[in-house]
Amino acid sequence: MVNPVLLIAVPLGLAFAIPLFGFISQKLEKYIPPVAMLFNLIVSLSLIPKVLEQPIVVSIGGFPPPFCINLVAGPVGVLFSAIIALVGFLVSIYALDYIKEGATEKYHMLYLLLLTGATGVVLTGDIFNLFVFFEILCISSYALVAYLGNRAGIESAVKYLIQGAIGSSLVLIGVALLYGLFGTLNMADIARNIDSVSPISVFVPLVLLITGLGIEGAIFPLNAWLPDAHSSAPSSISAILSGIAIEVGIYAVARVIFTVFGASSIFLFLVLLGLLTLLVGEMSAFSQKNIKRLLAYSSIGQIGLIVFALGIATSYGVVGGLFQIISHSLSKALLFLAVGYMIYRTGSMDISTLDGMGKRMPFTSLAFTIGAFSLVGLPPFVGFPSKFLIVRAALAKEEVLFTVLIALVLLGTVIEGAYFFRVIQTLYFKGKRVSPNKREEAPIAALIPIGILMILIIVIGVYPRLVTDILNSAASELLNRIGYIKGVLG
Amino acid sequence: MSFLNHYIYYIGAFGLIFIGLYIVLVKHNLIKVIIGLSIMETGVNLFLISIGYIKGGTAPIFSTPEIEAARMVDPVPQALVLTAIVIGVAVLALALSLAIRLYQHYGTLNLRKIKEQRW
Amino acid sequence: MRRIISILLLGIIALGITLSLAKIPFGTPKTKVGRYYIDKGVEETGATNIVTSVVVNYRAFDTLGEVTVLFIAAIGLGAVLTTGRRKKPERKIEPASLVLYTGCRFLFPLILLFGAYIFVHGHLTPGGGFQGGAIVASAFVLTYLGCRERRISERGSKLAESLGGLIFVIVGLVGLAVGGYFLMNFLPKGIPNFLFSAGIIPILYIVIGVKVGSELAGIIDNLIEESE
Repeated sequence: MVNPVLLIAVPLGLAFAIPLFGFISQKLEKYIPPVAMLFNLIVSLSLIPKVLEQPIVVSIGGFPPPFCINLVAGPVGVLFSAIIALVGFLVSIYALDYIKEGATEKYHMLYLLLLTGATGVVLTGDIFNLFVFFEILCISSYALVAYLGNRAGIESAVKYLIQGAIGSSLVLIGVALLYGLFGTLNMADIARNIDSVSPISVFVPLVLLITGLGIEGAIFPLNAWLPDAHSSAPSSISAILSGIAIEVGIYAVARVIFTVFGASSIFLFLVLLGLLTLLVGEMSAFSQKNIKRLLAYSSIGQIGLIVFALGIATSYGVVGGLFQIISHSLSKALLFLAVGYMIYRTGSMDISTLDGMGKRMPFTSLAFTIGAFSLVGLPPFVGFPSKFLIVRAALAKEEVLFTVLIALVLLGTVIEGAYFFRVIQTLYFKGKRVSPNKREEAPIAALIPIGILMILIIVIGVYPRLVTDILNSAASELLNRIGYIKGVLG
Repeated sequence: MSFLNHYIYYIGAFGLIFIGLYIVLVKHNLIKVIIGLSIMETGVNLFLISIGYIKGGTAPIFSTPEIEAARMVDPVPQALVLTAIVIGVAVLALALSLAIRLYQHYGTLNLRKIKEQRW
Repeated sequence: MRRIISILLLGIIALGITLSLAKIPFGTPKTKVGRYYIDKGVEETGATNIVTSVVVNYRAFDTLGEVTVLFIAAIGLGAVLTTGRRKKPERKIEPASLVLYTGCRFLFPLILLFGAYIFVHGHLTPGGGFQGGAIVASAFVLTYLGCRERRISERGSKLAESLGGLIFVIVGLVGLAVGGYFLMNFLPKGIPNFLFSAGIIPILYIVIGVKVGSELAGIIDNLIEESE
């Protein structure tokens, strides 16, 4: 059996070794992140059949839990680490050609460490360790947002850092209160004892943890940093922040609510919060003229949908939420990667300058169209089955409230469709001044990941059965706290 | 008086946290905001340490054989604080470097005046 | 307006935390994990400093993450400050006076030695890799202030940082290969209270000390470079 700790140790070791490879040859550095992520992808995929039977719990240092830190590679963890490795691998190939300026060696190190932090967050079974890996994820993303060193990048990074630092302090207070109450940091051990103290005293750490982790997860009203940070980072980093970082934030919130606290009383609050996030995000996206800000606000909308689905907290709802995470990771990564070279060619982020791109960059425009259709939820793309599951989950509740709410969600989807169609219209049907033989397609290193993402979006959209097994068992891991506690502590 | 005796460290810790948070929320100068974040970190660290404290306790080090284990304070919060301090230093260093760059671009550190990115 | 809202917000948080804190009385022993470490720590890890045994053995994975965070800060700061750094005219640095210069050169090795002592004895006395590393970095600050033209070699500090992190991970992987657990203490524990005891703990602390020292010195170096 492959030990899941390798998913963290190997990329971490390779990230430390990048300067050493740099002493041999400067050209070698940029090939390290793809190699590390390919390794992670293979290991994650090979772990899936095993974790479907039962979660793999490994302790670090060789002491029994809760006396040491342990990793829990259950279906949820392995599903997330596979998504992280997949998107990370594809974006790192894109970056081979895209990142040419600045301190490229530092870019590749920070990039790999960001993904390692994300993998650590989804695999760890210890609440303080989760905080540490969360900080790795956050601090490397602050630095990467500022990577271009221009006015917008620095300003956004400062805002992101201030809000993120407040969030991490709140998380740390929450962790400290939990340690004071229960004398342990192991999530399963805390979950086992959570009912032994009065609900009011565990409510405060719960709120602190949700607030602190929710800042990275961009839940409304904690998302003021997101549009700035996602739009002023380099496009490859925007793809990672939108496709991975906020999903990991949502994972952490979900893990805390579902597994550690088992707080079923706040599920309805979560549903409403998700809906609010969705509507705010989609409406702000509608009025944007800057293409990257539009995509960033659309990410907020999608996060709202995911939170809405998780808050339904039935098996259908959680499956739908996790499916939506897959769909959003793939589609939003594709959109940012496609937009990256369009902006590079036109030199502006204004939507109106993208006219005629359908002729200038046909493949990239097609990729943008597929990503947008998938996010809106059109068949046969991956967004369709995920949105369908969420609608079905809400209707299966058979309550008037949920029927009204899902109608509002669909209204959000309509707004989403409207602004994406406006962009697509600009790409294909405006701008006659470009002659059709003037092609400026993106380089091959960018087209390969874009192509693979397109194929994946269509294949999973047509055969959703490819992922239903892992999604079903992941949903039951989140909903079945007792099983998780037994799996870790025996 | 016994109330103070029981909770003085908690009051101190949360006093620092709230002072820091207040500075971050209200002040406009980036350097002051960074100082606020730092004060808040310190408060959190003090709170962590005081959770593990035992009345009349000693450091958890078996340097001489006659030290009794029952009087030792909890070692875990101290280990956690070590980690938290290092993370705080990391964030602080990055924040200061961003402040230097921000000043070079805008010529000011007043966050109210730096508003190119907005809704 | 902003102040009133902030104060209201803080008041709500304070109220909530008070409610929660009422269940955590101050100064009474209550923790089960901490008690286990005190009772079994020396026997299981060989380190007499229990905090060290928690930091570098029971919760070594956190420490690996912590070392990574500092590494990220050092390279992130380098990335932010090096991109778009303007070429400045070479400014003549006023040389330090002879007393200052000699004093710094005299103190520099002593401070290094003290830092090294702190991190080598981390498993026996208060202190450890981070503390020792901070002392080592302070020696470099002193030379920056005193012997102003001296700089640490960038190549050397890069090598120390990378090798330090890499050795930490490799020690962990050797533990995985030998004992089946990542970061397992696979070396003989020795007799407590002796310098050569506690298995991998001194090795990891020396690595951390060197790494933290060079990272902090590198951060200061970058900031000084910027201010000139």
